[in-house]
Amino acid sequence: MIILFVVLPLIVAGLLPLAGKVSRRVLPDLLANATLLFLLVYAAVAGRALIAGGPVLKQSFWLGEAVGIRLALDGLSLLMLVVVALVGLAASLFSIDYMEHYGAKGNYYALYLVMMAGMNGLVLATDLFSLYVFLEVAAVASYALVAYGLGHDELEAAFKYLMLSVVASAFLVAGIAVIFGLTGALDFAAVASGLRELNAGPVLGIAAALFLLGFGLKAALVPFHAWLPDAHPSAPAPISAVLSGLLIKVSGVYALTRVFLNVFGLTPALSTVLLWLGAVSMVVAALLALGQKDMKRMLAYSSISQVGYIVLGIGIGTPLGIAGGLFHLFNHALAKGLLFLTSGSVQQATGTRDLDEMGGLAKRMPVTAATHLIGALSISGVPPLNGFWSKLIIIVALVQAGHPVFAVVAVLASVLTLWYYLLIQRKAFFGKLNEKWAAVKEAPFWMTAATVLLALLCLGIGILFASTVTTWVQPAADVLADGIHAVAGSWGF
Amino acid sequence: MILQTALLIGLVLFSVLAIALRDLLKSAISLAVASLLLGIVFFRMGAPYAGVFEISVVAGLITVLFILTIALTKSGEEVRESKLANVVFPVVFVAFLVIDALVMKELVGKVPALASGAEAPTFGEALWKGRTLDLIGQIAVILAGVFAVLALFRKRDKHE
Repeated sequence: MIILFVVLPLIVAGLLPLAGKVSRRVLPDLLANATLLFLLVYAAVAGRALIAGGPVLKQSFWLGEAVGIRLALDGLSLLMLVVVALVGLAASLFSIDYMEHYGAKGNYYALYLVMMAGMNGLVLATDLFSLYVFLEVAAVASYALVAYGLGHDELEAAFKYLMLSVVASAFLVAGIAVIFGLTGALDFAAVASGLRELNAGPVLGIAAALFLLGFGLKAALVPFHAWLPDAHPSAPAPISAVLSGLLIKVSGVYALTRVFLNVFGLTPALSTVLLWLGAVSMVVAALLALGQKDMKRMLAYSSISQVGYIVLGIGIGTPLGIAGGLFHLFNHALAKGLLFLTSGSVQQATGTRDLDEMGGLAKRMPVTAATHLIGALSISGVPPLNGFWSKLIIIVALVQAGHPVFAVVAVLASVLTLWYYLLIQRKAFFGKLNEKWAAVKEAPFWMTAATVLLALLCLGIGILFASTVTTWVQPAADVLADGIHAVAGSWGF
Repeated sequence: MILQTALLIGLVLFSVLAIALRDLLKSAISLAVASLLLGIVFFRMGAPYAGVFEISVVAGLITVLFILTIALTKSGEEVRESKLANVVFPVVFVAFLVIDALVMKELVGKVPALASGAEAPTFGEALWKGRTLDLIGQIAVILAGVFAVLALFRKRDKHE
């Protein structure tokens, strides 16, 4: 029943505005969180058993006749489903207290669940057009969620995000049209086999460029990143966490790697382009992050930089590099989700995002400060936290694949990352308590619980990294390392 | 062939006008004309359903929405626009034409003929049986749109 990942959140989303009329708070909180908890348990517990015998291909039937609902679950999509459910649940738990003052919780959760359904559908899609449709589902819901606060900044950020996202969609549709023109097919398996038989070098190059522009914009890789530092900080904190932790990875990195590695096949030229895009994003965004005074804006630039690491790892194309990239995707989703949530706690307590106005908050918000520190150290790659292992794998893979210069750049970018995260920590949490914040209290229960959950995961995965890699990351990396054989042979319906 | 070429040139011309014209009303009408021409192209290429949707929804419904919105909007202060757009658009347009020509040159003769005639599924079969997942996606987009309108035009609570 893998279709539940798409249909269940949509059904609950349809009920939520009505539930919001019956009970303004409790029922929407309960329904949304229970749905996400169910999806997490289903993915984490049943998922591995489902794919034990190879990818699960689902063809749906309606009144005895086959209908065109074809979904596929393999190691890569399972990893993404788990990440989406995990960070989605944490951000949703955080919303119980945080979204209280925004009002209309039923509508908020409805949009939130539609976004989740969009991401799940994208991950399970088996053809290029369905992938595009679900990418749009997640995107349309996210535009409204960015603007949810209805302030000037939120609306401006949502508009900018919408405009650049539409450009990305236009590139993707153009790329899909070219591929359909070449192969007469849309599903991954048929396109992969069709392209193998055709000798369509230049046109395929143009299609690849269109996809790269589209997915590059969605993933906010430098130089396509202009929208992200506006959109992510302006959104409510749980939405920032989901956008940075999940959406750019699902509609950017996942879609890009699925199409380039499993459908087109990774060529040396494409590998070089991905390596450079990754390295440039990593360094440029880290340097830009250093100059920020707005806490959430600094985190947003950090997201661009860390997506650079992920793309760099996957771009190497070796099994180790891909595993490192995917593991970093997993770790960054948890840690960046955590950091955006803690920044939300700080913003709600103090009413500001300006780092210069903060100071000494650890005395008033010890749990938030501690969880923020864990997230920051994890992203900076400090052992024994999870981020250290994924960065280490990427760097080892770079050296093994004969890219020592990129490896050095990755290490230096990591030092920059540590630098700006220590800046946040020092300006916001350490030092003398600013008198303005004498009355500040620790964040409410659910907000703290969500951040503690993610912090414990960062710590636990860091300690148990070997089993996490073997259980979740390696099956996903195997799918990508298999190249077009992963879909061309086994994904036919 | 001449008619087809004229329709396509008209389509591109009115699309460019829709972007380049400063007057919003004229721009909306240019878009409607472009869409009408595209609808006719669809009809002539044997895709009547696509033609009907293009003309009724894009040329009809969306144009009505645009014109209503323009009519409801007061003219305010002149919005300053970056002159960069005047340079960027022609450059991107020419680049697009070049890429389009290159792609089409490569594709001509290589595009596999899609099934047509007796074996091809009917429009209903193709939509309901072939692309059912996309219909679910479409429902999700509509839900997102409805929830977005409800959320963005909501009345703020007293305690907010």
